[in-house]
Amino acid sequence: MIEITINGIKTEVLEDTKILEVAKKLGIKIPTLCHHDALPPDGNCRVCQVEVYDRERGKGKLAIACMYPIRKPVDIFTDNEKVRDARKSVIKLHLNRCPQAKVIQELAEEYGVEPLDERFIEEHDDICIRCGRCVRACEALGNNCLSFSGRGWNREIVPPFNEPPEGCLGCAACAEVCPTGAIKVTEEEGFREIWGRKFRLAKCSRCNEYYATEEYLKKLDPDEVIDINLCPRCKKAEEARRIGELVK
Amino acid sequence: MDDHTCMVNVASYFIDFLAEECCGKCTPCREGLKAMQKLLHGLTSGKARSGDTLLLKDIAEHVKETALCGLGQTAANPVLSTMKYFPEEYEEHEKEGFCRAGVCPEMYSLEIDPKLCTGCGACAKICPAEAISGKIKEFHTIEKSSCITCGSCIDTCRFKAIDVIRRGSK
Repeated sequence: MIEITINGIKTEVLEDTKILEVAKKLGIKIPTLCHHDALPPDGNCRVCQVEVYDRERGKGKLAIACMYPIRKPVDIFTDNEKVRDARKSVIKLHLNRCPQAKVIQELAEEYGVEPLDERFIEEHDDICIRCGRCVRACEALGNNCLSFSGRGWNREIVPPFNEPPEGCLGCAACAEVCPTGAIKVTEEEGFREIWGRKFRLAKCSRCNEYYATEEYLKKLDPDEVIDINLCPRCKKAEEARRIGELVK
Repeated sequence: MDDHTCMVNVASYFIDFLAEECCGKCTPCREGLKAMQKLLHGLTSGKARSGDTLLLKDIAEHVKETALCGLGQTAANPVLSTMKYFPEEYEEHEKEGFCRAGVCPEMYSLEIDPKLCTGCGACAKICPAEAISGKIKEFHTIEKSSCITCGSCIDTCRFKAIDVIRRGSK
């Protein structure tokens, strides 16, 4: 166990605990953009800056809370002037790229960030902040259909060859985790459209709700053991009913 | 590098290179270098606004602090060190639109010093805009309205007789 202080609060952590985890446990709020609890961290948005003061070296250095592993006794500051200043600079750059993104606007308001002047606005037709949550979500839950492409300012997230991805399951996990809503999903009459592909949705016979794409169900259950006519909630309800009958 | 090297231009060259090489993963490098590019292009084309040098310094320092990898962390160095050691060049570029090294296009004028000119005619021969006139062995003059400030004459003159001066001054 390593003894640290975070904003003056003393606590003990296991080695390699990330600063963000400690902060969460203590109820200390650190803003994030590219972080998602269900996905591995990526450390690219640079919003979760904190200052880590190394007692041995007598120096403080900025680090990102979502990835910095605690390996020795340090003093962490999540909201001092240096940290706020660094965060403001990053939010300013995010705001310049995607001023229409609500999550960025909220951050900018919270930190009192003024936008750069109009010379810095580059024409582009997406509100993607390149956080990569969709890529990681598709890796974890889908078929690995999204990736970063290109370099520098023009880096973007696209399916292979920028074409409707053949392996896409239509699960829309990417759209779900996107912080700015940059991925468009439309659902109509039992069909879902995403990434230029159309998917048929399975309908639950008990509650009559469309609950998943057939492709996604096929991936989960290639041998078709599960009855796809019931959504997970109704399946639970059915099981509960059956158990109830057995007990009687 | 000598007194005909414009340090703002040097910084701009390096930031252009680094913005190209930037991988684009982290925000400060990807967005910050682009913003720095904009500012430096403005400074080296006479289109800078008042306060641009300070804004450039601010962005550069923050990129250095918050970038993910060594490229972003050191990208700001050409800008910050040229600002530190050649602040007068930045000030002249921003406030007067003047490039004392005679590099940034249309940010300077050229004038032949009659005391040093030997009338060899080398500059007149090389001038692509045919802006230099004069008789052999007599001092030559540059017609400022025709001059495209390419700097070929300065490079050619062996007598250091051509001066870089502010536009619109005699």
